[in-house]
Formats: sequence, structure tokens, C-alpha cells
Amino acid sequence: MFPGIDGFHWTLGHILFLSLFFLVVLTIFITVASAAWRTSRDFKTHNAADLCWKSDFAELPVSDRRCRHELAGRVMSRTCDNAFDCRHCGKYSQFAVLPVTGHVSRLGIEYSPDRYYHRGHTWLEPSDYGTVKVGLDELATHLVGRPDSVQLPGIGQEIDLNQTAWRMKKNGKEVLVRAPIEGKVIGVGGPEQGWFLKIQPRLDPANPATFRHLLRGAEVHGWFSRELERLQLQLRAPNSPAALADGGVLVPDLMNAVPEADWDTVLADTFLEA
Amino acid sequence: MASTVLTDRRWIARGEERTSLSRFLLWLTPWTVLLAIGVYAAALCLWYGLNQTNMDNRFAFGLWIFLDLGIIALGAGAFFTGFLVYILKRSELKPILNTAVVVGFICYSGAVAILMIDVGQPLRAWFTFWHPNTHSMLTEVTFCISCYLLVLSLEYLPILFRNRQLRKVPSLFVFERQLHMLVPVLAAIGTLLSFFHQGSLGGLYGVLRGRPFAFRTGILIWPSTFFLFILSAIASGPSFLMLVTATVEKVTGRRLVPQDVFRRLAFISGLLLAIYVAAKSIDTLVWLNVTSPSAGFAPWQFYAHKPFGTPILFGEIVLFGLLPASLLLYRKTANHQGLLLTAAAMACSGILLNRFVLTVQTLALPTLPFDEFLSYMPSWQEIASFGGVIAYGVIVYSLSYRYLPLFGSKGDASHVSGN
Amino acid sequence: MSAARYGMVIDLDRCTGCGSCMVACASENNIPALPQATARTGLTPMLVRRVSNSKQGSERREAFFPIMCMHCEHETPCVKVCPQQAVEVDKATGVVMQMPQRCLGCRYCMTACPYHARYFNWWDPSWPAGMEKSLNPGVSSRMRGVVEKCNLCHARLHSAMEKAAAGKREIDAADYIPACVEACPTGAIQFGNLADANDPVTKESKSPESFRLLARLGTEPKVYYKSKEAWVRALAEPNAAPASEVQHG
Repeated sequence: MFPGIDGFHWTLGHILFLSLFFLVVLTIFITVASAAWRTSRDFKTHNAADLCWKSDFAELPVSDRRCRHELAGRVMSRTCDNAFDCRHCGKYSQFAVLPVTGHVSRLGIEYSPDRYYHRGHTWLEPSDYGTVKVGLDELATHLVGRPDSVQLPGIGQEIDLNQTAWRMKKNGKEVLVRAPIEGKVIGVGGPEQGWFLKIQPRLDPANPATFRHLLRGAEVHGWFSRELERLQLQLRAPNSPAALADGGVLVPDLMNAVPEADWDTVLADTFLEA
Repeated sequence: MASTVLTDRRWIARGEERTSLSRFLLWLTPWTVLLAIGVYAAALCLWYGLNQTNMDNRFAFGLWIFLDLGIIALGAGAFFTGFLVYILKRSELKPILNTAVVVGFICYSGAVAILMIDVGQPLRAWFTFWHPNTHSMLTEVTFCISCYLLVLSLEYLPILFRNRQLRKVPSLFVFERQLHMLVPVLAAIGTLLSFFHQGSLGGLYGVLRGRPFAFRTGILIWPSTFFLFILSAIASGPSFLMLVTATVEKVTGRRLVPQDVFRRLAFISGLLLAIYVAAKSIDTLVWLNVTSPSAGFAPWQFYAHKPFGTPILFGEIVLFGLLPASLLLYRKTANHQGLLLTAAAMACSGILLNRFVLTVQTLALPTLPFDEFLSYMPSWQEIASFGGVIAYGVIVYSLSYRYLPLFGSKGDASHVSGN
Repeated sequence: MSAARYGMVIDLDRCTGCGSCMVACASENNIPALPQATARTGLTPMLVRRVSNSKQGSERREAFFPIMCMHCEHETPCVKVCPQQAVEVDKATGVVMQMPQRCLGCRYCMTACPYHARYFNWWDPSWPAGMEKSLNPGVSSRMRGVVEKCNLCHARLHSAMEKAAAGKREIDAADYIPACVEACPTGAIQFGNLADANDPVTKESKSPESFRLLARLGTEPKVYYKSKEAWVRALAEPNAAPASEVQHG
């Protein structure tokens, strides 16, 4: 068939057929190579994290996508249409000036007014040196209790906003905890230390916009309140009617306390798994 | 204490209800057994040779080739739906797109698997690429089907990577997103390749000067069967998709696509089938009056052998051609699911009958004046291998349905009540 | 050397159906002895078929048709369809050459051949113990899974070409005689170069008693048949008066 082999000669048929075939193969190859190249470029420019999160966010149930301003009582009802990216939300400034309303009821669970809270149930605490400390928030800690194992990133590793910061395993279930901020890991802790990661943020911590996407103060109250409502409904005994208790203290280590619940769904809703 | 029930819940998309793992495994069991038997039969053929089949020197092609052609015709829904959605921008068919890709992938990979057993020397398959004969339709088929299987795999990958756990791997997920952006290119390539290989499969028989029953004239180097096969494939593809989707809906007990999708598929299938019937009728008249007599064969000779009499021709064109086409085109049919699916099944049967006539009947008929009409019954190895392919298809589809988002996103499901 | 077009004229009036040609062919081409092969799975590059005029009693006539590859010249069906060019028409000799080493075993060529002259190796070759001593060393055996057919005793052509090259001359017709031609006791099979106008075979092929099977398909076979019997000549066309094959036991 090929030049050099006995009796071969080019005909128009050969040229047409082979050029068409190679054109097709080339196009397929270019398509795949192009997708691969763009993928690697996405990772280099940290655009990959954005893509992943936006896609995951779109797959979340509506109830997990409530706008923070609704949680804070600033607006009646609003679903976030911007993947919780308050830094680049056109409506943010419009809503942020409205007053926070809502119950002053006792939640039965603590949260710190000095910390920023991420919707994936982590807290973030800026330090004086321009770094931040990140930990698992109180509600999540009550839920998971003491994890069976924790897989932390290495020192020097870059993590991206809303991507996996660390993994925990409990009772055979794996939880991927989303990172509240993008930056470089400069220290790792664990459940004993009360914090999990020390991060050097990629953006300037002095700039208020850097933490704009995180909840703080009274907003956290409204959010925790909704989360507790959700948990009570999800963790109730099957066939019992929906009831929302008021007052009382949240039981620690709920995964062991209520093993028969649908933890798959509970954990997915809590840690914003798609 | 952790729950002791074995569950694969973490692999199933959130908000999606699927049957319990034990029931699912129970469903898979008979298909796995069928697959195992099929693999064993295929292994026998590969180890001992094709004497394990009932094919012989006069029936060089048998059950496998007939089923290969049939599967590929039915799997045409994949490329055609992709063409309609991405090239013609008919977004109403988007809900059926993923399932079309999976069905196409199953059909083509199954066909290629059977072809590898069907040839006497499978390890020499690459010879066709190294010494291609540009005059041969089979060369064209080989090239196009190989490329198209690659395209289908590339179209299947994004669906696979959207699995709940796999999407957590960022590199896979971002690659999937980027590939998804380029999917119109793949759809265009897929359409081009499919056009050619569906046609060439018809051309395989239309060029057989030595088999006047199958031989047709046409346009330039392409016999009329080239175009008839393309038409019949795109007519049967949507019908087959309807049947598959309806079956899945029945088995799972839930509505998976809007009724409008069925309506549209029925219209497309009916219209194309009607055009095909018209074209085939003209082609048959030309063949009966011109092509066959000029080779010295009076057409009555071909239909003089029972059971392959003229009722088969009638069946192909009218009973399983014109009739289902009319039913599918008739608006009210879509209101009765049972009638709709019967029409779809009849359309698919018509196309399968056409493939059968060209593969099996062609070889049964005499060519030399002193030949006799031959018969052939496939051996159990042939039947079992094919049963294995069907089982493979059901298993792959079941796994895809369970673990992958085949039927649209479920982002709106609420979880608060813990249902 | 100018291009030859090797062909045959087979005189059906002389063919007694003895089958020597089949035996010689099997012997020359190292056809395996496979007891499990049937009439439809056996390897018979030369096959003698017994036909009748479908009448009974005193009106019944029978004849024998040696069928092998017709070495078609025009739009050769098997050459056109082979996906990997494992068969080609040799320009120097007109012989349709099958290359089992390149054959994939897809059997498309077998579907294409109207003369059913192609045979598939359904089994690996084997011979009873001791028989391997009688094999022809000039012809390689074929493994299972490939197609084969008559190639006009190519090994003999090679020997003739070697002799011709050594003697710096053209091929001597006496040097190149296919096995079936040599074996036929009545001389029914005549072999020659149809490109040579003086060749007796060429002249015979032009006789009004000569015909080719399925000539109207347009494949230009190079094997001619010859008979004085009209009913035999009518077998050139399939629309002829009914003919049937007589089954052997």
C-alpha cells in the first residue's frame, strides 16, 4: 500500500480517501488535545477551581442555594444565582445596606462573632500577620464528632476557594471539606488543635472584598438557624412527624447518636456536595 | 455504629432515587450469566476457530454479520440526535441526548466486539489500515467505524466523568467541561463518519456484481443501497431510542423524558421512514425491471424459494415500512404509548428485515444455474455470542442509568424532608 | 516479456468426472486432510460438480463441470472488495493472486464471488501421521482463518520463470502446466495464454461451442467451457431451462 512496496501507485482514490481520513483523525486529535491543553491552562490560572465550583453549585438543590441576604433576613426569599461569589455579585451592595432581621432565639449552638463563616461549614479567622486560620465550624463538629481519619494537605500546597481543603472519614463516610479562601497552606493542625489549616491568602487580607463572600455576625445566626431546622427534619426518626424543637442543646457526635439517618444526604447538604 | 446494609449510595447522584443495591445486583445477575455464556462461546470460537459456527463456504456471512448491520442501524440514533441538537440546534431533543450516546456506544462497541470474533485472523485487523483498498466498501467501513467508536467514546467520557464521585477529581471534571464545550465538533465529525459508514454498509452489498439479488447501480461509485441504508438507519435510530427509553421508564417506574420528546422522535422517525419507503420502492422497481435482467437474472427467480417469497418484500416495504411510517406520522398515535411503541418496534423490525434480506437471503440464493437454494442455522456459539452482546448492552446501560446523569439534571429536587 | 493472460478451455464433452484434477490440485497445493470437513466446509480449489438437465428417464442428460477460480479480468469482484488488498490481478500473467499471509479472514471475497470458487480454512491444517512426507515443498500451507483459492499453480509458474531467467528466454509453455491440466486423463482441461493469438486455447475459446459461466455479469472470466450439447451451453445463463445439481453421496 505504501510507496516502496511492490506495485504501489497513487491514484485519485488513494489521495481523496486518505486525505479525508487523516483530516478526520486530525480533527479528533486536535479536539482532544485542545481540551487537554485548555484544562491544563485552567489549572495554571486557577480557573479550574472556578469551573468546578460553578458546575457543582448548579447541581445543588435549591434549598442549599439560598442567598445569604435571605438567611440574614435582609430579603424575604432569594436564591443565589452567582455561586455564592459575593465578591463579584452585582446585587451585593444593594442588599448589604439593608438591616438584618430575624429571631433572637437561642440556637443551642455557639458561633463566634470574630470569625467569618463559609457556607461549607468552616470558619476563618484572620491573624495579625496577614495569614488566616481555618477550622471546622461548631455545627459541623457536632455533626461529625471526632473523625476516624483526617487527610490534610501538605505545607506549601495551593488550595482554591470552594475546592477540597481537607478530607475526613467517619463511620465509612468520606467528607470533602470545601476551602473558604484561596491561598497557600503554611500550617496544618487537626481536630485536637481546634483548627485545621493556616493559610497565606492569595488575595490581600487587608482588602475588605477578600472576605466579602463569607458570613459574619448576625448572618451566621440566621444561617445556623436554617441549618438546624434542616438537620432536625433530616435526622428525625423515620415515620415520626416533622417537628422543630426550640431551645435545648445540640447533641454532640450526631453521626454516632443517630446512625440510621440518611447520612449520605445529610453530609452532602451540609458540606455542599454536588 | 455504622449502618450494616451494603450500599453504593455515594456513587448515585444526589436527589436521584435508585433501587437498593441488592435489588440492582439481582437485576444484573441473569444478564451477567448471559454475558458469561457469551464470552465462553466467543472464547471457543477464538480458540478453536470458526468451525465452531455453522457458517460454511457458501454461507460465508451468517448471524453475526446480520446482527452487526442491524445493531449499527439501530445505533444511528446517537449520531442523528447529536446532529439534530448540536448542528441543527433542535434543543427539544436534549433530554434524550445522553441516553442516545450511551445506546450508540453500546451498539458500536458490541458490533466491533462481534466483528473481532467473526474474522478468521483478528490479530490482523490492523492490516486494513496499513494496506487499505480504496475501492473496497469494507475498507471504508473499517476506517469509519473505528473512528466513530473513538468519537462515541469521547462523547461518553463526559457523561462518565459527571458521576458523583468522579466529578470530585478536579482534573477529570475540568477536562470534561472543556471537552463538553467542543462537543459540537465531535457531533459534526460523528455525523460525517456515520453518513459514510452507514452508507458503506449498504454499499457492501450493492457493489456485489456477483450477487445480482443485491447488486444495484447508483450515483458514481455509490450504489443505491448506500443511500437507502443511510435513510433507513436514521429512520430506525429515533424509533430504537424511543423503545429503549420507554423500556427504561417501564422498568424503573418513572417518567424520564417529557412526552414531547417522544412526539418529536416519532415524527422524525416516521418522516424519514416514509421517505425511505418511497426511495426503496423506486429502487426495487428499477432493480426488478432493469438491473437484474441485464445481469441475466429474472427477478422471479429470487422469490421462487420458500420461505423467502415475495411476502418478504411486501413485509419490508409495506407491513414494516409504510404502515409504521403512517402510524408514526399520524399525530394522535403519540397519545397512546402502546400504539406508539408498537409502531416504533415495527419500524425497527422493518430495518432489521432489510438487513437480514441483504445478508442472509443474498447468500442463500443461487448464482450459478446449477446452484441450489441453501439454508443455514446458526450454531449455539453464534447465538450465545450475540446474546452476550445484548447482555453487555443491558449491563452497561443499567450501570450508566444508576450511576450517571443520563436524563437531565436534578438540581431542583428538595432534600429537606429527607425523602 | 509481454503480459500474458493465462486462461483455460475445458471441454465438458470429454470430462468423465473422474476427479483426478481434484486430487492433483489437492496434492499440489498441500490441501489438508480434514475428516471433519463437509461438502460445504471442505477445501476444494478445484471442484467437479455434476449437473443434469433435470429430466428423467431417456431424456435425462448429465455432465460434469470442473469449477475453479475463473481469474476474472474486469472489475474482478474479489479484488475490488478485499479490504486489505490480499488479492490482486497479476498484470504480468492475468492470474488472480491470493495472499493468505495478508488475509484477515473477513470472507467478503467469498460473498462477492459468483462462482463460489473461494474457500475458507475453517480448521488448522493437519495431515495423518506420515502423510506430511508427501507434501509439496514448493507450496506453503495456510493457517486457519484465511481464504484460499486456485491460483493456477503459482509454484509451477515460478519454476518456469526461474528456468526462463536462467536460460535468458521467455517462458516455455511446456514448463508451466497446472496440476489439474497435467492430471486430466482425457485432456479435457486445456491451458494457455489468451493474449497469444496463436495459442490453441485462444482459438478454442473463440469457437461457437465455447461459453463462459455468468458472462453477463461482466466479470470477464478467463475459464471457458466448451460443449457440443446445447443444454450444457445454455447453462451459461441462469435464466436457462432448469438445470440441477446431482448430489453425490
